[in-house]
Amino acid sequence: MSFTPLPPVPEEFQVLSMMHNIGAITPDRSLSPDELAMWTGIEISIVRDCLQRLRELGYVEHIEVSGVEKYHVTKVGIMKVLTLYS
Amino acid sequence: MKVAMISWEYPPRIVGGIARHCEGLARALVKQGHEVHVFTLDFPGAPEYEEGGGIRVYRTRSEVGHPNFLSWVLLFNHFIEKRLAGVSKLVEFDVLHVHDWLTAPSSIAFKHFAKKPIVFTAHSTEHGRSGLHIPDSFTIDGLEWWATYEASKVIVTSNAMKHEVCGHFHIPWEKVDIIPNAIDPTKYQGSVDKWAIRSRYGIQPHEKLILCVGRLVPQKGVEYFIHSVPILARRRPEAKFIIVGDGWYRDHLEWVANTTGERWRITFTGFISDGDLIALTKSADVMVVPSIYEPFGIVALEGMAAGVPVVASQVGGLTEFIEHDRTGVLVYSRNPESIAWGVEHVLSNPDHARWLVQNALEIVQKSYSWEAIAKKTSRVYEEVTGAKR
Repeated sequence: MSFTPLPPVPEEFQVLSMMHNIGAITPDRSLSPDELAMWTGIEISIVRDCLQRLRELGYVEHIEVSGVEKYHVTKVGIMKVLTLYS
Repeated sequence: MKVAMISWEYPPRIVGGIARHCEGLARALVKQGHEVHVFTLDFPGAPEYEEGGGIRVYRTRSEVGHPNFLSWVLLFNHFIEKRLAGVSKLVEFDVLHVHDWLTAPSSIAFKHFAKKPIVFTAHSTEHGRSGLHIPDSFTIDGLEWWATYEASKVIVTSNAMKHEVCGHFHIPWEKVDIIPNAIDPTKYQGSVDKWAIRSRYGIQPHEKLILCVGRLVPQKGVEYFIHSVPILARRRPEAKFIIVGDGWYRDHLEWVANTTGERWRITFTGFISDGDLIALTKSADVMVVPSIYEPFGIVALEGMAAGVPVVASQVGGLTEFIEHDRTGVLVYSRNPESIAWGVEHVLSNPDHARWLVQNALEIVQKSYSWEAIAKKTSRVYEEVTGAKR
């Protein structure tokens, strides 16, 4: 039986992973989409799309700080990231 | 003995089997009179320091992060090393017990600072997990080798892993001890309302529940389990399939499930709590462990303890505690037909399935208790420290 080759790690998962590695895992360490784009080197529009999907899946949450939306990884999101490394 | 246990995973930061392994081992070591200090990473909501059941847990927050995974690993190791150095002003450790490569750099540095021996438990290898196809994997492979080199003794959980570690890293056979994983069988002894739990997942009383539990990553072979669904559905129209766990591979697996023509039979639960997992396992008719790489396979042991017949791939550690057709059913890995055969073999022979479960329970209780595993680990500590008890 033949199977498809391994798919690449989905883009939103790469963003989630980078958010985790940067340390954005608690509300006080949340980052804005602009900051995330700067940290990860990923285009801002892609970062925004990924954050939207990650939010729907429950892997990130956002808070509002002085009118700016900032995001951090949830506990479930952390566990999801760690599956990549173990 | 004063033990510094160093692991990137420790409850509630649970990814795979390592966190549970460290917790179970730490508890059992404390019962045997050791003083255990666990150094691990922070987790939202978990205290930076806690003491419970005689175990002291130090959770370290990495003050600096980096989007690159390996850079992040080196950074958090730096902070763990600082924590180790701080605590060592108050506690003179006798031995450092390191679990997997992720915390090896801090542990090796601390070994040379404190002049204390390292025991390294290799739960798996990068070579086995994902092959060495990308530069990061070569770096991880190198760190794993370094840990085995610096360790006075290496522990692995199965004979298969001993062959893998000795063969791949070229380390002496006598340097590696096999100490299997363990579980707490008492966790599985309570009764559950099987029908209520099944109905929560849409399983009717006349339907058969076939369960698969694990991280959704390629080495767990869940893809092959999903491909067995249409084969089984033809033979067993009443079969339903639940896949518990999550992982980066989930999107792909859901896509595979969509191609089977039997998607409605398959439920992906994502992560669920320990309590829910035990209840669901006890309510299943069969548990399938379709791994293609498995250094030990604790999930199969958990299924056996929960009293559910286990159908598992004939790979790695699984073949060392599952005796084919006596304590479970072994099937060919990467083979949906074989998985379907194994499941059908169990479902079509209820008396035989009960006999398998009874035999499996006896094995689990006799050979895979934390008490037995901690005794073996203590002997390794004594060997590396030269202590006599």
